[in-house]
Amino acid sequence: MSKFWIIFRREYAQVVRKKSFIVGILLTPVILGALTIGPTFLARMQSSETEKLAVIDRSEMQIGQSFKEALTEYTLPDSDMPYYSVEQVFELPATDSVKFAEIEDSLRHEIQDKDLKYFLVINQNPQVSDTNLYLVTNSDSFRSLNRFEKQLSNVLSSIRLEMSDINLSTDSVLALTGRIDLVTRDAKGESLPFQVKYFSMLAFLMIMFGMIIGYGQIVMRSVIEEKNSRIMEVLISSVSPFQLLAGKIAGLGAATFTQIGVWVIIGTGLYFMRGSLSIPSGVDRIIFDPFIIISFVLFLIAGYLFYSTIFALIGSIVNSEKEAQNFIMPVTMVFVLPFMVGIYVIQQPNSTASIVMSFIPLLTPSMMMMRVIFLAPSLTEYTLNGIVGEALLGFVTLSLSVVAIIWLTAKIFRIGILMYGKRPTFPEIMKWIKY
Amino acid sequence: MLLELKNVRKAYGDKVAVDNLSLDVPKGVIYGIIGPNGAGKTTTIRMIMNITVPDSGEVLLDGQRVTSDFRNRVGYLPEERGLYKKMTLEEVIVYMGELKGRTRRELIAKIDPWLQRMNLAEYRLKKVEELSKGMQQKLQFVTTIIHGPDLIILDEIFSGLDPLNIELIKDIILDLKREGKTILFSTHVMEQAEKLCDHVCMINRGQKVIDGRLNEVKAGFGKNSVQIDIEGDGGFIAELEGVGGVTEFNNYIELNLEEKADTNCILKAIADRVLVRRFDIVEPSLYNIFIDTARIDPAELNNKGGTTDV
Repeated sequence: MSKFWIIFRREYAQVVRKKSFIVGILLTPVILGALTIGPTFLARMQSSETEKLAVIDRSEMQIGQSFKEALTEYTLPDSDMPYYSVEQVFELPATDSVKFAEIEDSLRHEIQDKDLKYFLVINQNPQVSDTNLYLVTNSDSFRSLNRFEKQLSNVLSSIRLEMSDINLSTDSVLALTGRIDLVTRDAKGESLPFQVKYFSMLAFLMIMFGMIIGYGQIVMRSVIEEKNSRIMEVLISSVSPFQLLAGKIAGLGAATFTQIGVWVIIGTGLYFMRGSLSIPSGVDRIIFDPFIIISFVLFLIAGYLFYSTIFALIGSIVNSEKEAQNFIMPVTMVFVLPFMVGIYVIQQPNSTASIVMSFIPLLTPSMMMMRVIFLAPSLTEYTLNGIVGEALLGFVTLSLSVVAIIWLTAKIFRIGILMYGKRPTFPEIMKWIKY
Repeated sequence: MLLELKNVRKAYGDKVAVDNLSLDVPKGVIYGIIGPNGAGKTTTIRMIMNITVPDSGEVLLDGQRVTSDFRNRVGYLPEERGLYKKMTLEEVIVYMGELKGRTRRELIAKIDPWLQRMNLAEYRLKKVEELSKGMQQKLQFVTTIIHGPDLIILDEIFSGLDPLNIELIKDIILDLKREGKTILFSTHVMEQAEKLCDHVCMINRGQKVIDGRLNEVKAGFGKNSVQIDIEGDGGFIAELEGVGGVTEFNNYIELNLEEKADTNCILKAIADRVLVRRFDIVEPSLYNIFIDTARIDPAELNNKGGTTDV
């Protein structure tokens, strides 16, 4: 058996037989599941109940009644139940401010007690200025606010029309000026809620982050252990530094893939049982999209090789884990960066800045993956012009960087692992590379 | 010659660690490399092990340039010890042996006899971290020789061991020599080197200052000393011809003799004046040779042609 495989086998066995490995395998999908499916599930729970509201109408123009009628067009998803229920419309003369204050006060209490979700106050002459209208609520559902704005605009438009000289029917004016409800759909022509994409992306990035940084640090710790205990000298008298480096990275990489392999099996099981699991529609489309999955696996492999080599390099030049912390921080930060600029990338996945960032090798695994999830075309639309080609190119440049970083590390590693005591300075390391 | 170093040189930046060093290690001997701390012993051993590459010169094993195959024929115990703490004794021994090209089956068969000899048999399936420091050292010694190497390199093997274990390891080293293995060990504890070595080589500041069979080195050093025990005032002794210096101890006086001093004349001169109870001509100990030689700058030594090379 070649010495590479002997090292490979030991590194693999050391990780796989630990209890934490088994726990990680089982716990991670649960956490990710909660993270991905949870928010969508919650969002759904909210909208499965009819929302109650009340109106105080001081306009003396029955605007409250018209608004109530307009809202009847909305029903809850997958049912005939009304989305909104206008419990009461209080019509008051604009002059009776005592009564108004009394009603408003009691409605405020109802909102605080969650008996009511919104109440709308319509003062005199709302058609003249928007400031004569206001909505009281503790909720900030964009969807409902949009609907209310739209319906109120319609009601007010028809009033304005009646008061003007324009000789047109209300319907035709509304047809001209009416606001629309914009439904968002993705490139596949299917509508996929933004939050589903967002949380799926977070899940993918967190797996990637956990795997790459987690196993990268195991590589580093294993180098530091061998260096500290001076086993390194014995090892290097038995194998070449490169065999050692390669065996280590590959062995621990195999452990990573064992973990993912188990998840794939779990995932496949879930796929066939998805009907009975009521996974929110959309989540399964992302998790089981071949382009996303293949990209994920490739970027995970390349990213793992890239980062774990850097971690091995750090391990070879430091003397203790404590010393290594100074180096780990910036590396981890680089990987976390996408989580921070992510909000921009997912809104502008095709902007120049997003594209450029996704081609910086250190960022490629996470940034490109982010763009892949947001831009993934449907099966029939794979062309090299779009994200598929970019992902491929990103993978190629990342792979070349991996080769370069391994070459560089091999040069520093074989000297660093035998250096004890003082941490080498940067010029010293440069000398090792040339040496 | 099993192992030859030819004009080997290694520098780290401006600092020359080993300078123009040549060694010949015959097969089947116990060869000691001695020298003060920082003399270049470890660098020399690392070059022999092919861990570091010499800047110039070459290292030959059986007359051949050292290659990676060579690694399997050597066992190396570095000065600072360490093993994988979380592995069991059996796993560690098998892993280290496999890395030297042996199969698992071969190794498993050899584990028990070795552990028994080291009094570690009951720990076979325990983790390394459960062993005491001394036990770990013995275990590491087992991992060094488990694959049956032809050349065994031991760096400060006895440090930290109790006398019983020192005897144990010493016996094994002598057994290995009897089997025809070559043992090269470095130490700065001269008593051990003196008891074990057939050959010694002393390195100081990167250069070889002594090299040869132990008895020849001692003879060649030429400076014997005399221990005397007298009754009366020995103040005159320091003035005698051939006496280089006098050190008074509690029970005896030690005379350092000048080269080619006539001990007979000295004895007569002393016996004329006082009563002599004891007059011992002592061979120089390796310890004295070490101290004497280490004080001299090797460059100076070589220029004068006064090297004790034999």
